[in-house]
Amino acid sequence: MTRGILEVEGLSHAFGGVRAVAGCAFSLDAGRVGALIGPNGAGKSTVVNLLAGALPLQQGRIVFDGGDISRWPMYRIARRGLIRTFQLSREFGGLSVLENMLVPPPDQPGERLRNVLFRPSLGRREDRRHVSKALDVLNTFGLYVLRDQYARNLSGGEKRLLELARAVMAEPKLLVLDEPMAGVNPALVERLCEHILRLRESGITLLLVEHNLRVVDRICDQVIVMAYGRTLAIGQMAELRNDPEVVKAYLGGSVEA
Amino acid sequence: MHLILNSFGFGLVTASVLALAAVGVTLQFGVTNYVNFAYGEYLTLGAYLSWILNVQLHVDFWLAAVGGAVATGVGAVVISEFVLKPFVRRGARLLFLLIVTLGMSLILANIFQILWGTDFRKFDIPNQQVFSVGPLIFTPNQVIIMAIGLGAMLAIHWLLKYTKLGKAMRAMSDNLNLARVGGVDTDRVTLWTWFISGCLAGLAGVMLALSAGGFQPSFGEEFLFVIFAAVIVGGVGQPYGAMLGALTIGSVTEMSAAVLNSALKSDVAFLVLIVMILIRPQGLIPTQGKA
Amino acid sequence: MNDIVYYLATMAVLFCIYNILTLGLNIQFGYTGILDFAYITFLAAGAYFAGVSALPPAAGTDQEYILGLGWPFPLTLALGAIVAGVLGIAVGGTILSRWNLRSDYLGIVTVAFATICYDLVGNLTPLFNGWFGLRGIPQPLNRLLNLSPNDYTLFFLGVCVVIMLALWFVAHRIYHSALGRTMRAIREDVDVAATFGKDTVKVRMLAMGIGCVYAGIAGGLLIEFIGGIAPDSWTTAETFIVWAAMIIGGQGNNLGAAVGTLIVTVVFIEGTRFLPPVPGHPLLIAAARNIVIGILLIVTLRFHPQGLVPERRARFPRGLHMPGAQMPASSLSNNSGAGR
Repeated sequence: MTRGILEVEGLSHAFGGVRAVAGCAFSLDAGRVGALIGPNGAGKSTVVNLLAGALPLQQGRIVFDGGDISRWPMYRIARRGLIRTFQLSREFGGLSVLENMLVPPPDQPGERLRNVLFRPSLGRREDRRHVSKALDVLNTFGLYVLRDQYARNLSGGEKRLLELARAVMAEPKLLVLDEPMAGVNPALVERLCEHILRLRESGITLLLVEHNLRVVDRICDQVIVMAYGRTLAIGQMAELRNDPEVVKAYLGGSVEA
Repeated sequence: MHLILNSFGFGLVTASVLALAAVGVTLQFGVTNYVNFAYGEYLTLGAYLSWILNVQLHVDFWLAAVGGAVATGVGAVVISEFVLKPFVRRGARLLFLLIVTLGMSLILANIFQILWGTDFRKFDIPNQQVFSVGPLIFTPNQVIIMAIGLGAMLAIHWLLKYTKLGKAMRAMSDNLNLARVGGVDTDRVTLWTWFISGCLAGLAGVMLALSAGGFQPSFGEEFLFVIFAAVIVGGVGQPYGAMLGALTIGSVTEMSAAVLNSALKSDVAFLVLIVMILIRPQGLIPTQGKA
Repeated sequence: MNDIVYYLATMAVLFCIYNILTLGLNIQFGYTGILDFAYITFLAAGAYFAGVSALPPAAGTDQEYILGLGWPFPLTLALGAIVAGVLGIAVGGTILSRWNLRSDYLGIVTVAFATICYDLVGNLTPLFNGWFGLRGIPQPLNRLLNLSPNDYTLFFLGVCVVIMLALWFVAHRIYHSALGRTMRAIREDVDVAATFGKDTVKVRMLAMGIGCVYAGIAGGLLIEFIGGIAPDSWTTAETFIVWAAMIIGGQGNNLGAAVGTLIVTVVFIEGTRFLPPVPGHPLLIAAARNIVIGILLIVTLRFHPQGLVPERRARFPRGLHMPGAQMPASSLSNNSGAGR
């Protein structure tokens, strides 16, 4: 059995007396665009928070890129290459768009005090490199013209794009997107899909938590269905559509977008 | 042993005063969801206003105490409406609100200094003999203070449990948005909460000054963090917790004075405060959403 | 004429010292968003340790204090700075360790800590001479130089200006580095910063430590200049005044800190110190200026919370073009100018 870039086993999590996740397990292959879908309350957001280390792991195991990250703190998981975005865009409001882009790159020498005080040229050189890349990425996302704006002044759609662009700067191996299409107008949805596919082409593995099943159908090649806190089924959208259990989980309705 | 018991007795008196003030803080924090760092000055204000009535206008002490308390309540409402509300209404950051209340604390403290100087003031009330109740020693005034404390607690209990205002206050403390949606007139409830909180502060101020034999302009501010300690120990936003916290802190500080340098007894309370916040900020009786 | 020069020089020394203080708080709060209402305690730590290391042993004098090393000037200042920094890290690691506490609890905890320190230092006389405070700290280097009081003030001003400019430069460097950016990211949203791999605890501790070192240096310079310090100079009201200077001047940037320091501390505090006291009301002026500062701060927060000098975005060096990108006509002027 080939090992995926992400292996989740027996994940369980309870908030007080409420069990949000009860036995979630799946594996995601490198280079794929995976999707985590399921009705509201299925536990998808909790799983994302567990993956990112935002919640302490109570039960289960998470193996990422060959390493067991089950008990790791958030920042260490991120440095390993697992980057996540948020459902409600969380830009650094008091920083400019460009500065937002310059925060994520890992291992910046300019972050060490010794370098700041005694070898500033190291940091400046790295900065120039990152600025170049950042402007490139901003341009791809159509945000170049906003680069000097305070991030808090962007429109909702622009913040969405920034959320994704910024995550790219972190040089992720696995990018977990928490409902990237939520509340987004259809034209922007199409653009975001193109960006995601382009990211896949550049070697990044992606995992989307999504409600918009048309998007999932379009771009995702590995779909994990969750309901009642556990994994229900794994496969491609086409086959899942016909899975009676999956259909029942979506409240007896047909699995339409 | 005798000393410890004496201190415990004194602790009961302190606890009564603390309870008044702590309940005032916790009711206000519960409803408004931010701490008022100027609260200590409200105690001082109550003491001074009562003093003016009592010593300068020759009103009977207990009447003056009530008068001072009510006037402080009005003062609290005025400050809330004109200084704090504009910030709240514009959704200002919690930190800014705190700095504003800290600023109010500084401003009030200095106004008191200008108006009334730094002299130690006493009330116009006859000296009293102590008497014993078992191993504990009290003066009649101290007994009255404890009775007032108890009475006020019962009144607050009745307010919260049986009146519309009290229920609205509890609703706002639990979940502000839900209360608003449920039809609570949050502005009006907030106003009344500040009034009650101010009255309790003013009353506590007079009682504290009485029990200490007099007061200076800084005494309210010095007592503020002991009050916070009682509030945190009991659980922020929990009036019954505040009473429990007052009893705990009151006894602990007074009893520690028998062992340590008595000037440091408040620091015992501060230490308890720091430890509680770090270890169990929700207090002994937790309320949801405040910690 | 001489008097005016002397007066201005004294004001300038105090400006340098208080500016260092405000710069330090700015690194803690303006850059990193740390809420420290105990800040003045670190100035005290720096002052006391600089003082007791400069003074001769206590036995035989009429004061009580620990240490008493008789060290020369730069060493005493260094000791004060180090102690303040270490204390800052200790506080950061314990009292402020629950960084995700809401602001009011952090405020309460830090003020409680500051008050405990104040009470302990005041009551435990053998430490730093209790409520009377330390006095008689020898003037740095004057045994060698033997200058007249006015000339000495000018000399000390030179020392302070050099130190202040150096610290300003360090703060400036930090702001424009990746470290400064990370600090500001933490200020904006600490969880997202962690999500991008930043060790937020370490950076916050660093900010805490650096800010406290600044406070310690300010304290050391202050005690060496004035010759002593007592607890009533470092109450919570003094912390509040530093906060006022930082916010009124403009948080998050060092120019704002300087402006705020100039207005609040120099003009108000020190300037009004020389007004004649109003007969019958000896404390009136001191009280009045505290009231004015408080009102000014509340008004600033209400109507212009970013302060007199708002934080501006850092700009990048010229010459960064985007080959092939569509640039609006005005964009060529957007890429100009270095940071402030």
